[in-house]
Amino acid sequence: MAELHVIGQIVGASGFDESSLFCKWDIHAGSAWKLLAGRREGQTQVDDPQADDVAYWCHPIDVHFATKGLQGWPRLHLQVWHRDAFGRSALAGYGFCAVPARAGWHGVACGTWRPRGGPRQRLARRLLGGGPQLRRPGPALGAAERFRLRTEAAGTVHLQLAVLPRHFARYGVQS
Amino acid sequence: MDCSEESRMIIMEDSLDEDPAQAEKLKRTLTAHRHRRKKPLREAAGAPEPPPEEGSPASMAAAPPGAAHQAPRGLPPVPSASRTGFAEFSVRERMREKLKAARSKAESTLLQEDPSPRPRRLKSIREKKTEVRLDKESDKDEFREMQEDESHISSKVKFHDSAKKPKQKTSVQNDFPSAEETYKFFTFDFDSEAERVKAGIRKKNELNHEEEAEEEEDVETHEEGQEEDETDEDAHLVKDDDLFDLGQTAQDFLVVKPAECESYSEQLQREKEFLFIPSMQAVPASQKMPGNMQPRFLEDEGLYTGERPFVPPSNLNILENRILRQEQGKEWFGDDGKILALPNPIKQSLTRPPIFSLEEGIEPELETLYRKAIKVTAASQYLVGPGDFQGPFQLDIDISGLIFTHHPCFSREHVLAAKLAQLYDQYLARKQKNLTTLLTDKLHALRNAVQCSIDGGDAAVPKPVAQQSIPEYKIEIRQTRRLRDAEQEKDRTLLKTIIKVWKEMKSLRDFQKFTNTPMKLYLRKEEVDQRLDEKAYEAEIQDEINELLEECREEYEKKMEEYETELQEWKSWKKAQKSKKKKKKKDLREEEESVDDCDFGEEPVKPIPPKMVNSLEIEQQAREKADNLRRKPGEPVLIPELVLSGSITPSELCPRAEVLRREDVKKRSSFIKVLFNSKEVSRTVTRPISSDFRVHFGQIFNLQIFNWPESVKLQIYETVGISSTTLLAEVFIPIPETTVLTGSTPIEEIEFSSNQRVMLDHEGVGSGVSFSFEADGSNKMTLMTSGKVSNSVSWAVGEKGVPLIPPVSQQNTGIASALKNIDAIASIGTSGLTDMKKLAKWAAEAKLDPNDPNNAALMQLITVATSGEARVPDFFRLEQLQQEFNFVSDEELNRSKRFRLLQLRNAEVAEFRNYKPVPLHEREISEKLFQDYEKRLRERDVTDSKHYLDAHRAIVANYLQKVQESVINRFLVAKHHFLLSDLVNEEEIPSLGILGLSIFKLAEPKRPLKPRRKERKKVTAQNLSDGDIKLLVNIIRAYDIPVRKTVSKLQQPSRHSRPFNEMFAASPSAQSPGENIDWVFNQVLVRPFVEVSFQRTVCRTTTAEGPNPNWNEELELPFRAPNGDYSSHSLQSVKDEVFINLFDEVLYDIGEDDHERGSGIHTRVERHWLGCVKIPFTTIYFQARIDGTFKVDIPPVLLGYSKEKNLGNDRGYDSVRNLSEGSYITLFITIEPQLIPGESVREKFDTQEDEKLLQAAAKYEAECTSKFPSRQCLTTVVDLSGKSVFITRYIKPLNPPQELLDAHPNSSQTTAELVARYVALIPFLPDSVSFAGICDLWSTSDQFLDLLAGDEEEHAVLLCNYFLGMGKKAWLIIGNAIPEGATAYVLTLEQNQYAIWNPSTGCFYGQFDTFCPLQNVYCLISCDNIWFNIQEYDSPVRINFDISKPKLWKSFFSRSLPYPGFCSVQPEELIYQDSDKAAVAELQGRIEKILKEKIMDWRPRHLTRWNRYCTSTLRHFLPLLEQNQGKDVEDDHQAELQKQLGDYRVSGFPIHMPFSEVGPLVEAVRSTGVHTIDVSNVEFALAVYVHAYPQNVLSVWIYVASLVRNQ
Repeated sequence: MAELHVIGQIVGASGFDESSLFCKWDIHAGSAWKLLAGRREGQTQVDDPQADDVAYWCHPIDVHFATKGLQGWPRLHLQVWHRDAFGRSALAGYGFCAVPARAGWHGVACGTWRPRGGPRQRLARRLLGGGPQLRRPGPALGAAERFRLRTEAAGTVHLQLAVLPRHFARYGVQS
Repeated sequence: MDCSEESRMIIMEDSLDEDPAQAEKLKRTLTAHRHRRKKPLREAAGAPEPPPEEGSPASMAAAPPGAAHQAPRGLPPVPSASRTGFAEFSVRERMREKLKAARSKAESTLLQEDPSPRPRRLKSIREKKTEVRLDKESDKDEFREMQEDESHISSKVKFHDSAKKPKQKTSVQNDFPSAEETYKFFTFDFDSEAERVKAGIRKKNELNHEEEAEEEEDVETHEEGQEEDETDEDAHLVKDDDLFDLGQTAQDFLVVKPAECESYSEQLQREKEFLFIPSMQAVPASQKMPGNMQPRFLEDEGLYTGERPFVPPSNLNILENRILRQEQGKEWFGDDGKILALPNPIKQSLTRPPIFSLEEGIEPELETLYRKAIKVTAASQYLVGPGDFQGPFQLDIDISGLIFTHHPCFSREHVLAAKLAQLYDQYLARKQKNLTTLLTDKLHALRNAVQCSIDGGDAAVPKPVAQQSIPEYKIEIRQTRRLRDAEQEKDRTLLKTIIKVWKEMKSLRDFQKFTNTPMKLYLRKEEVDQRLDEKAYEAEIQDEINELLEECREEYEKKMEEYETELQEWKSWKKAQKSKKKKKKKDLREEEESVDDCDFGEEPVKPIPPKMVNSLEIEQQAREKADNLRRKPGEPVLIPELVLSGSITPSELCPRAEVLRREDVKKRSSFIKVLFNSKEVSRTVTRPISSDFRVHFGQIFNLQIFNWPESVKLQIYETVGISSTTLLAEVFIPIPETTVLTGSTPIEEIEFSSNQRVMLDHEGVGSGVSFSFEADGSNKMTLMTSGKVSNSVSWAVGEKGVPLIPPVSQQNTGIASALKNIDAIASIGTSGLTDMKKLAKWAAEAKLDPNDPNNAALMQLITVATSGEARVPDFFRLEQLQQEFNFVSDEELNRSKRFRLLQLRNAEVAEFRNYKPVPLHEREISEKLFQDYEKRLRERDVTDSKHYLDAHRAIVANYLQKVQESVINRFLVAKHHFLLSDLVNEEEIPSLGILGLSIFKLAEPKRPLKPRRKERKKVTAQNLSDGDIKLLVNIIRAYDIPVRKTVSKLQQPSRHSRPFNEMFAASPSAQSPGENIDWVFNQVLVRPFVEVSFQRTVCRTTTAEGPNPNWNEELELPFRAPNGDYSSHSLQSVKDEVFINLFDEVLYDIGEDDHERGSGIHTRVERHWLGCVKIPFTTIYFQARIDGTFKVDIPPVLLGYSKEKNLGNDRGYDSVRNLSEGSYITLFITIEPQLIPGESVREKFDTQEDEKLLQAAAKYEAECTSKFPSRQCLTTVVDLSGKSVFITRYIKPLNPPQELLDAHPNSSQTTAELVARYVALIPFLPDSVSFAGICDLWSTSDQFLDLLAGDEEEHAVLLCNYFLGMGKKAWLIIGNAIPEGATAYVLTLEQNQYAIWNPSTGCFYGQFDTFCPLQNVYCLISCDNIWFNIQEYDSPVRINFDISKPKLWKSFFSRSLPYPGFCSVQPEELIYQDSDKAAVAELQGRIEKILKEKIMDWRPRHLTRWNRYCTSTLRHFLPLLEQNQGKDVEDDHQAELQKQLGDYRVSGFPIHMPFSEVGPLVEAVRSTGVHTIDVSNVEFALAVYVHAYPQNVLSVWIYVASLVRNQ
């Protein structure tokens, strides 16, 4: 019956080659977790920074979970997308990070990656846009054989999450 | 330090013993000793802590000096505990010690004087110490005395030392002021010391030497102190010492020695002494085994040992040798003489993943896909759901053919042939299995085995084992034999039947003289060697006989045993019986009989000894059996062979019946339909049935599907000729497992049969009809049409070999989230489980090695399975250990009220949508909170007729509720879609122009008499709370209020409804002024006041006088939002109405007698309801303010009041006003502060409209709104299912109820009014209330009539359609009216005049009617076009309704875009159900009863009397009102009432309402306040009349009256 309340925001992203980025996010949790309130997925606006290369979204996250077990601690899945001058969007990076387990305020930096693809694809990506994407991003982010995937590093997504656990101590979980 | 100390002591001793001449030597040793000390001191310097010492007392204090060193302030050394050891020391020793101490002290003082690197610090230490340790000082002095007394050696030494030191220093450290130092040393310091010494002596004299121990201690501590100082100083003086050392003559200390060198051999020799090198020789096994045991090799014994890790044998030998040297070294060796070792832990397979290679396939979930950069459409795609579109999956259904095993057209021969074929198939199948040979072989093998074990030649198998297995074998043999016999018998009978059928067939062919089937059976004979065969046969029989004999013998033995025991029992019983009998004989002879009798019953039967079986008999038996079952020796082996090589007799040669049959077959053909999820998806081509009743299709159907199939079914159809098609049978095909893929599936045959009964008039035997092969008709048989479909169903394989299989879980997608938490068994099923018991049995029989890790998994499984109740989980769990680690169970989690509340609130369930505070603790949430919600859930499907009084309405209400819910849920989702403007609030930077303007404004002259309208500040909803919002109602004036009339005999001529002409002509009424003259003078006052009630708050104005009062009062009413939620969608759903009631205040003089009347006034105030105006809050909310003159809803009959025609003071204004009857009130209503109405939901709806049309509509709308932003342009609306529909589709001529048309056949105007009234009678339900914050939903007219509820649009559409149906010219007006706001009216063209109809009230107005509630006209809509008003004005009075003028009206369809001719969404014709009269009558009674009860409830303190007479009169009167639609009956009625109720003062009125629910009726009655009268002798009358119109449209009349008897 423990509760976990995550309040925070996706502050922005830095270090991406592209500008004008937006982010799709969702929170995955195990079957023991029950969403009490809040939205567990969403999408930010496109930010096209003019000054430096940090895209700011300040997208709010406010989810309230109840759980009956620790397994499947909530994870954030992030997809950063890039919107080019023609209004087309292409993937800029995948990333995922666990919601911090300790109570309090956390600044989380989530590194992202994207599939590298073959030389042809890379060339096409440079010239035409688009790029290799995961066919099924959901399961892939949790897949054990992820090392098979050839990726390249993308930028970092910055999050600020305040974690409010409740009644975990009652079940012997210190947080 | 330790040793140095010792050495020093030794030196001291020496120095004491030896003469002073040796001082020189001593000095030298001292320095040497110092030199030696230098080393540890250096260490001490390096690490501040001096090395700890043990043993010597002097060293005990080593730690404190260290501490002192560390902390320069210097802690006084703590005197150490008493040391008993010292008692042993002799006095001399003690003295020696003292001496030593003194000397060292002297040294130290010397050193102290030295200009040390940190002299000040040292000094301070010293001083401190001296201060602290006064007594010690005295001790020191004392010993100094002694020192002086005894010898001067030490002092000499001291002085020497001190003298030498500076010298040395100067020699090394140049330019040091040594002279000054020495001076200091000799004068200053020593003097002070001496002084102190003296003082000490004085003290000491008292203390004296007596206390030895104390002294000792003191000395000791002193010494410690000394030493401390010494070390301290030395630490800093290391350098000096070095120098000092070097400065000494080298030969004194150094000895030159040759370099030491150890030869290698020597080294080895030395090493040999303490090194052990184990040999590499193998260790004999005997050494490794304890005692003289033989090594035991487990592996040879058949036990699993596992593979040892590889170690080079030399290393192993070394290890073994070493271990053997060790104590108990043998423990390290196992039974086999090898070192104990675990099996090799190295896995054979690589655990490290192989290095990435591109050729290798990637996991499907990691597959990447190059996606082009695409523009994302507006439909926002979240991560929700499956990541991307999961393409269509494919199920391949291959239907290869159809074989009939019976068909009605089968001839007799076919029947036999089919049978033969079946038998032959069976034969082939058996032959393939060849069970008989298998079993025979097994039998032989077993026999051999038994033979072997009996012979016992094998030494390998120990005897007992073999002995044990023999009985097992024997049992096995018996079983096998029995099986074999059975199989043999089956084989033989099968062969026999085949031959029999074949013979029958042959005879049939002979009989009928033609052949129909190409079947031929050959029996091949296989000759066998007679002799061998016989031998084998005989041997077999002999074996069998032997076994049987043995068996019998065993049985016999067993039986014999049993017999023995039984016999024994019997004998003992017999004995007992006999003795008993004897006794009895003695005792009672006469009773013998009876006793005997009863005993007899219990007497056990004497057992019969078993017979020994005769061997001959058995032989006989065995031979008989063999004869029956087996081929006789020498008999050839028969092998049947079925071929289809026979020739079929051509039709010409056949008899007529057969020809007919063949022709019939030719006519027949068949096809198969494929049904997927019970829907036909495809069918095969129709193929004729061939003469051998086979149909070949050979078609593969690729079904592209999205979901997991529910069922796949084949339907087999047969067509005869061209016409008739009959369904033969349905075959369900199992849905293939996910592993079944196309290309790997064999064709399966699925049997089917049909219970169809077919009788044919030709040779065909038919189906379901009995027939016989015999000539006499006996042995009848009945066959059903049956056959086999050969097919295969499999999943297709897509490109890249990915099977196109829908995920199994997909079948639950709709409720996936709910199901996820339920057991995995639900989704996976138990099919994958195997029978554990069988497995365990097999494992036990197979004697698996339980130690072999290869079997570990299996063994574990078996142990789990077999260990009693520890059952194997009968499901596969996806999240293992989840259950074990759960904090709480699911039930508990679900029970949590807090969580439930949070979830419900989050889901925005109606009851909890705006529930703000959710308590933190469970206990703070009361159970009651959920009661309403649960009740609603429970009653969702239960129609509660009690509240609705009418079953239909209850159903409708339920339906509406559901539609509403579903729509709300849809829109709640849409509400969470935000636009940029919702999130980002950017204020525009004021431009220079604006700034300039405002500067100019400052310069403007002030005009206080011309106030400017200031825009009120709008308030956003979120920062509001209770009490912040007020409703301001400004009541300005009223016109034409009915006036009281005293009982008057004057009869007014009844007015008849005016024709249209009269209305439009705006001419004064036809009433003659002459009649009214009386009224002008007889006018009775009316004292009206207005009471405004809103949300249970009531405010009233002051009382004004006259029929045209002027109040001009502002009333302020607080507004409270439901649940304290002031968000816009909550405000939109406020259902409260503002009631503006008009009352007449009547004063009655109730002075009882005249003398009272003279002295005081005693009056009673009564209020009489005159009428009301209702304005829904939502209208005010949306309009922000309501300003205008409203018609007061005045009942058609107001007893005691009459409508005044103020013709006497007729003025121009009045003449206009008088055109419309009724009273009017001018109001101004607003909300303070102004609220921002919520925006309608921006949602794109699904639509079936043409894309071009939608584009055109959007363009049109954009054009219109750009020109006239305030005018609403409507092109598409949303229907009930949430789809966009082009608006003109709603307009279509429809037939009004025939009943209404028939009512006034000759007057079109009355009919129109009646129809309008009918439409108005359909209850009004604003959908902006029910669908809060949501745009309008338009229902079609039939839906509207079914629902019997709707808002303005539905009413208007229906009325417009009716008018069109009646042949009028009618349009829908989209406009703005008061008080409704944006609304829809109907415009008709009547005799060149435009009439505007209010569909909600049924009233109509002329175009130039000032009191027409329609204020603005935006568009007109007909069934084929839309016209947008592009005139300057939009008030109906000021515009031209001529739509043919394109300058005034902009049409949607024009020449450039012609009307394409839409089909309407409306039905072809409306069908009306007649209302149920009985139900209506019942409803009428119930309403009356309820209302009466309510009135009595509202008067709890008064007696409520009902005047029956009056009630009946009123009841009688109500139908009349309905008939006349409430017009023109007033005066007749009044007169009639007066006549009947002579001396009663009656005040009352009929209320007319459309019927939807009881609630509004009750509310309406209550709002009139009739019950509030509290005259003691008041009586009431209440009558209800319900008039039913078609389609259950009910008009309710309620007549309420209060009667007071006139005194």
